Order: sequence, then structure tokens, then C-alpha cells
Amino acid sequence: MASAMTDRTSRAGNTYTYTSRPRALPCQRRRYRDSFLQAEEEPVHYGNIMYDRRVIRGNTYALQTGQLAGQPDPLELQRRQQAKRRALARKRAQEQLRPRTPEPVEGRKHVDVQTELYLEEIADRVIEVDMECQTDAFLDRPATPLFIPAKTGKDVNTQILEGELFDFDLEVKPMLEVLVGKTIEQSLLEVMEEEELANLQAMQHAYEEIRNIELAEVQRLEEQERRHREEKERRKHQQWEIVNKHNETSQKIAARAFAQRYLADLLPSVFSSLRDSGYFYDPIERDIEIGFLPWLMNEVEKTMEYCMVGRTVLDMLIREVVERRLNMYENKDKHQSLKPEDMYGGPGTMRDPTVGYDFQEQSLSHTQRPLLDRDDPQRMSYGDPSQERKYMDEGELLGQSEETAIRKSTGKDELQ
Amino acid sequence: MAEARISMYLPPDINPTKAAIAYGCRALPKLNEELQSEVLTTRQKALMALCDLMHDPEYVYQAIDIGCLDSLKALLKDINDLVRIKATEVLCIMATHNVGRDGFLEHGIIPALSYLLDDANSICRENLHKAYKHLAQLPSGAQGIVSSGLIPSLVWKLQKEQGAVQELILDTLAYCLQEDATEALGSRVVPFLKQLLLSASDTIRAKAACTLMAVSIPLQGKNQVWEYGVIPILVHLLKDDMDEVQANAAGALTYAAVTTEGKYAALEAEAIDPLLDLLCSPVNKVRLNATKALTMLAEAPEGRRDLQSQVHIFRTLQEETTEVSTRRAAQIAIKVIEWKP
Repeated sequence: MASAMTDRTSRAGNTYTYTSRPRALPCQRRRYRDSFLQAEEEPVHYGNIMYDRRVIRGNTYALQTGQLAGQPDPLELQRRQQAKRRALARKRAQEQLRPRTPEPVEGRKHVDVQTELYLEEIADRVIEVDMECQTDAFLDRPATPLFIPAKTGKDVNTQILEGELFDFDLEVKPMLEVLVGKTIEQSLLEVMEEEELANLQAMQHAYEEIRNIELAEVQRLEEQERRHREEKERRKHQQWEIVNKHNETSQKIAARAFAQRYLADLLPSVFSSLRDSGYFYDPIERDIEIGFLPWLMNEVEKTMEYCMVGRTVLDMLIREVVERRLNMYENKDKHQSLKPEDMYGGPGTMRDPTVGYDFQEQSLSHTQRPLLDRDDPQRMSYGDPSQERKYMDEGELLGQSEETAIRKSTGKDELQ
Repeated sequence: MAEARISMYLPPDINPTKAAIAYGCRALPKLNEELQSEVLTTRQKALMALCDLMHDPEYVYQAIDIGCLDSLKALLKDINDLVRIKATEVLCIMATHNVGRDGFLEHGIIPALSYLLDDANSICRENLHKAYKHLAQLPSGAQGIVSSGLIPSLVWKLQKEQGAVQELILDTLAYCLQEDATEALGSRVVPFLKQLLLSASDTIRAKAACTLMAVSIPLQGKNQVWEYGVIPILVHLLKDDMDEVQANAAGALTYAAVTTEGKYAALEAEAIDPLLDLLCSPVNKVRLNATKALTMLAEAPEGRRDLQSQVHIFRTLQEETTEVSTRRAAQIAIKVIEWKP
């Protein structure tokens, strides 16, 4: 069989081969209803080969082998032909059974007759009639008249009476409602917006008022603070000045008291020291001191010089005498002790060179003042040491030389 | 038959004087290009269309984003009157939006607009001042106007202009002076305001008093107000008919009377009696400002002496009023009047 089949295929002419890699076959059974997804998008269901109808199960030697798809089965062919013949036969039989008009009697013929109300001529020939027409040679073709088709049909009229079509008031209501409603809605919106704006403005104004008030308050408080502070500063300043002045005054008073006390004995002491220093002087006294007394002193000096000279001379005389007497006595008596004249002679000897020199000086300076006679009583008068001292002082003041001072002191010694 | 439904779309806007607005986001860029075109009618039509669009804040933002302000700045110098009028109108509408105001400050519109202060066309100037007024209501906008040095020219214009423009300038100045008043004080604003206080129009008087209030906040302003002798006029205005004028005059007096000289000037001008009358006014602002002014005057010893007999009015005010601010102001007033050193 298989070989017969293959022969048939090769006899058919076109060879058909089919190869494929082994693959699992998808199951054709659709599990779900027609889904909107494409078939490819669904997960491919692979069928179980054991349950596939195409796979032959069981033993194959006693199996009915069907024909291949393209090949008709000869048995099938035969059966089909038979069926056709039978159908034809049946049809012929039925034809015969159908009732027909009986055949015409002899000598007669069936004829078709029209039985309608109006007869119709049935002829092949068309009736022809020749007609001719001719337009007028000299006339223009008139305008085609307006084509008004003939009125056909039945005339019918109708009239719409009031209230038949629609009730205007009823119908217009929804439209009006919408119109008016929209308008009012729009206007309400606008009014609300304006109100909101007005509210905002009012709030702004209120805020500005409050802000102004607060600002004014702040400035007022600042101003107040400033005034108070300045006032405080001023008062503090005043107070400070008062305290300062107070301090100063007390200090001044204390200083004054102290100074007064200090100066209380300053004045007498000043005066006394000044007096002591000789700043207060009687001009006449001064004059006497400056003018008269130096001269006086000079004269006194001179006188004293003269005295000195006299004494020196006297001393010399005495010395001479004494020496002579000494010589005489020495020649006579050797235990003559010191005489008072020696004492005089001693210092006198020491004094001599100086006195002699000074005397010469004095005599040179005072040659013009012969005051020997006057000096003598004066010498007598100044026996007391205090007067001496005074003259000494004045002599110092007059700036006499040291030699005269020594002389004076030695003179004083002598007088003592 | 027409449908009974009302369409959600606006009726078709067919106006031959306006340029056609392109669809969607192309509208503004196309208008911007048209603004820069050479043809006059194109520019005018584009401006008219822009005026309509600028009412929407989103469009304003987009316009500023794509740089419409620069083309508008160029158009401000145009020769044609209508172009300038419409350009200023567009800027005025933009200034009503916050985005627009910020854009003004960023792109320096203020100096560009200031060239038009001397413009011949009055509508142009009116729009210009409206734009400035809207800008000045924002603190940073007021600062921008002050820092661009426009205050002296505005003060000068105050004298020149009339009517509605004067009111707009007064409003602008009031806001700007609250920011920084030094420049204005240097440009003799106080004498001008003094003249305006006596003007015939109610609104001008009210606005002039409001501006004066702003002027007298800084110390220099207070001194100038006292020097120019504005305080007697203010006292006179306290007896005015309009509430607004009374309230603003009382407010200006409040600030002017902070300094000692101001206080004594007000006392000399017999301010106490009109202020006491104002305390009975129905308008809250008037009462508030009058209370504050009387508080200032009560700081001075003479004022305190005069007001000590009137303390009961303040007490009734404190109890009856509904406003918190008025109550507090009355409380403070009573405290000041009854203070003993």
C-alpha cells in the first residue's frame, strides 16, 4: 500500500518533500473564547502527544487506512456515482408524475387566449407610420415655454393652528432658564470676584491703618524715650555739676582753711625773715648804713689804725725799752719772768709785719682824714662788745677784706 | 432650528482691528514677531490682540518668558501715537499681575517708561502713571521706582499735571514715599503737597493728605512739614466734609506731632478741639487717627492739661468700640493723659 501510494505520488509528477526539526507541536484547541489578544500573544499551549488525534495509537496491523487527503477513495467514488444516478432517476420519475394539461382532442388544437379585460395585440411587427415636419423658414425658433409640469397628484392642504405644534411658553422655559441662569451665574461670579477684591482692598486698608497707627505709636514711644533720656541726661548732668561744685567748694574751703592756717604764721615769719634779711629798711637808716656808716667805719678803721700804729710804735718803744731794760736787767738780774709787756710784745711781734704793712696802707688811704683826735674818744666809747659786734656786722656787710676782719678780731682780742 | 444648549466656547471673536491669535502655544511667539515687524498696521493689530491676552496671568508669564518686554520697550519709542498708547496699556495690564511686576523689575521697564513722562498724548501718560501706580503697590516695585531716581521728576510732574493723572501720581508717590522719602524731601514735595491740600477736588485733597502722611514718617519729613507751616492747613482740613480727608489729615498730624516743634505748632493751631469732634465720627479710620493724634498732643504738658478734662470721651470710646485697634489706641491715650512725671 505504501509503495502503491508512493507510486501514485511519483506518477502525479510534483514531488513534495517536507522536513522539519523535531519540535513540540502546539495544541490547536483553543482554551478561551475569542480574546482580543492576538494568537501569538497567548502562551503557546503544547499538546500532549499521547492525546493527539493525529497520532495513531495501538497496533497498526489491523487499522483502517484512510486515503490521503487529495486522493479520492475509489469506493467513495463509486458510491457517489451511484448516488448521482439514483438522484437523476428520482427526478425523472417525479417529472412524469406531474399533472399536465391533457392532450388536445383529435382535430383540435390548443390555442392561447387572452382572458383579461382589455385585449392586447401580440404581434411581432411594429406599426410604422411616416410623418414629417418642417419648421417655418423665416421664423426664429421661439423661446421654449417655461416648463410647468402638469399638476399631478392630489391637492391636499393643512393648517397649523395655535397650540398644535408646540406650546411656546412651555418650550421656551428651559431655554430661558439656561440663558438666564448662565447670565446670572456669570454675573454672580463677577460680583463675587468684585466682592473678593473689595474685601481684599478693605483688608489692605485696615492693615494700612493698623500699620500707620503702629508706626505712629512706635515713633511716639521713641520720641518719648528720647525725651525722657535727654531729660535724665540733663538732670544727671545737673546733679553731677552740683556735686562737682559741692566738692570743689568744700575743697576750696578746706584748702582755704588749711592755707589760712598755714599762712597764719607765714606772714609773721615772712615778715620776720624779711626783716631779718634786711628787706625792710628805713631809707634814712639805709642811707645812714650805706653812706654814713662805711665812711664812719673807715674813719674808725683809720683811727684804729692810728691807734694800732700808735700802739705798735708804743710797743716798739716799749720793746726797745724793755729790751734795753732786759739787757740791763739781764746784765743785772737774770730771773726776770715774763712781763705783761712781753705778752703784748709777743702778739705784737707776730702782728708786726702785717700791721706794719696795713698801717702803711691805711696811712696811704687815710692821709686825707686826720681823725686821730676824734678816734680816741670814740675808741673809749665803744668799749662794749655788742657795739663791736654791730660794727663788725656792718663791716661785713660793707664787704671789707679778710685782712681787716682778722685785724678787727685781733683788735677785739687786744681790747679784751 | 438652533440648539437649546449653550456652547461652552466663547462667541467667535472677529475684530478686524485685531491680529488673529494663533492657536495654543504659538499665540504669543507669533504676536512677538508681529510686534517687531516693519509694517505699522501689523504692529497696531498685534498690540490690540496682546491687550486682550494680557488679562490672563499665564499669558503674561509666557510673554515675559519669550521676551515680549524688549519688543514693547522698543515700541515705546515709536512715532505713532496709537502704538504708544496701546503699548503703555499693555504694560499697565501686565503691571496688575504679580508676574508682570516682577518682570518689570527684571527687564528695566521703569527707565524705559520714564522717557514717556513728557509725552504729548495724555492717554499715554495716564496709562504710564497707572502702570507706575500698580508697580508701586508692591514694596520691591516701590523700591525700584525710588532707586531709579524717578521721584524728583514725579514730584515735578505733580505740579504740571491735572485731574486724574494727578491722583495717580499722588497714589504712586504715597506708596514710594513709604519706602524711602529722602529723595522726595530733597525735591520740594512738601510745598507742592501744601498747595494741593487746598485744592477743590475731594479726592485730590484726600490723596494729598495721604501722601503727606507718608512724607512725615521720617524725621526730616516732619521737620520740613513744620518748617513749611503745613500744620495749620492740616488742622483746617480736620473740619472738612469728607471722611477720607479728615482721616488722612489726622494721620498726617499724628506723624507731624511726634517732634516737639510739631506738637507745639499743632497746639498753637488749636488742633485739640477739631480732633475731639472727630472722635465721634462713624468711620473707624477717622476715630483711630484722631485718637492717635490726641495721644501725640497729650505728650506735651499743655496738651495733657487740656485733655485731662476730656478723658471720659476716651473711656467711652474704649468701651463702646468694636475694633481692637481703636480700643487699644484709646487705652494708650488714657494712659498718656493720666501720666504723672
